[in-house]
Amino acid sequence: MTALRPTRSFEEVRLGEQLPELVIELTPTRIISTAIASRDYQDVHHDRDLAQKKGSKDIFMNILSTNGLVGRFVTDWTGPEALLEHVAIRLGVPNYPYDSMRMTGVVESKQVAGDRGRIVVSIRGENALGDHVKGTVRLSLPLQNAR
Amino acid sequence: MASPVTRDQQTLDEALQQLVSESRPTLGPPARDPVNLPMIRHWCDAIEDMNPVYTDPVAASASIHAGIVAPPTMLQAWSMRGLERRPPTAATPVARNAGPTSLLHRAGYTSVVATDCEQEYKRYLRPGDLVTTESELESVSGEKRTALGDGYFVTTKTSYRDQTGEIVAEMRFRILWFKPRKVSGS
Repeated sequence: MTALRPTRSFEEVRLGEQLPELVIELTPTRIISTAIASRDYQDVHHDRDLAQKKGSKDIFMNILSTNGLVGRFVTDWTGPEALLEHVAIRLGVPNYPYDSMRMTGVVESKQVAGDRGRIVVSIRGENALGDHVKGTVRLSLPLQNAR
Repeated sequence: MASPVTRDQQTLDEALQQLVSESRPTLGPPARDPVNLPMIRHWCDAIEDMNPVYTDPVAASASIHAGIVAPPTMLQAWSMRGLERRPPTAATPVARNAGPTSLLHRAGYTSVVATDCEQEYKRYLRPGDLVTTESELESVSGEKRTALGDGYFVTTKTSYRDQTGEIVAEMRFRILWFKPRKVSGS
C-alpha cells in the first residue's frame, strides 16, 4: 500500500500563499486518455482530421479533464485528506497537443468552519497561447488540534 | 412548422428564449454503471492523480473517508453516454438540451466547446453509488462574437442524485455553439 502522507493542516496554510507550480505536458496521449477516461468520445478530443474540419487547429483537451487536473493540482499540494467542496472553472484558449500547461494557484481566503478549516484557492493554467483555465477551488482541511 | 434556417436572428433568439422559459428539470437515464474502481483507476492514471484515497483500499480505509472514494472532479464521467449505441427511448432522452442544440444546429451553429463548469460536491461518491442526473436549461445568451466565431452560450443546471435520491452534487455547465470563423485543414 501507499502510506497515507500527512495532509496540510488549516493552520499551516498562509493567506496569499502560492501553491507549488505544476507543469502538465500536453501530449496527444494525455489529451486522448483523459477524454476517454471521462467517457467523452467527442471526436474533437481524439480525431485530428475531424477536429480540423470543425475549425480547430488540432484535437484539444475536454473541460472534464481540465477540471480533473485542477482538482489534482490542489490536492497534490494539500495532501490526501482535503475535501473538495466546490470547483468553478472558465476556459480560455484550448489545450492543444505538443504544448504544456503551467498551473499556478494562490490562497485567497481561509476561515474555520466547524471542525475543519475552509480555504479558497484561485487557480490558473497557462499554455503558449495564453490562459487555458482560470477558476477557484473551495476545500476544507483538518484543524491542527483535531489531528 | 417553419424551418429555423429561414428565420432571422430575432426569431431564433425568441425561439431560444421560449425554450428557456419552458424548460423544466428533466431526468436523465441512470448511469450505465455504478461508481467503480476500474473507471476510477483509468481516470487517475490519465490525470496522474496519485492520491491513494482514490485507488488504494488500505490507505483509503485509514483515511478520513474510511474506504475508496471517487475523485469528486470525475463527477460527469459517471453519467456520460460514452460510445453507447443503445437508441434513446422516452425514458432516456438523447440530450438534455436537445431543444437549443437542434435549433442552433439548423441555424448553422454547428461547432461546440465547453466554456464554464461549476460543481458543488455534497459528498464524495463511493464504489457502488448509482448516479442519476436531473437537468434544466438555465439560460441562452444572445449571439456573441468570440475568438472562435459567432455563437450562443447555453447554460444548463444539473443535479446529481444517488440511488436513494439524495443530491450528491450540483453543476452549472456552459457551452458555446458557434459558426467556425475559418476552417483549417482540407
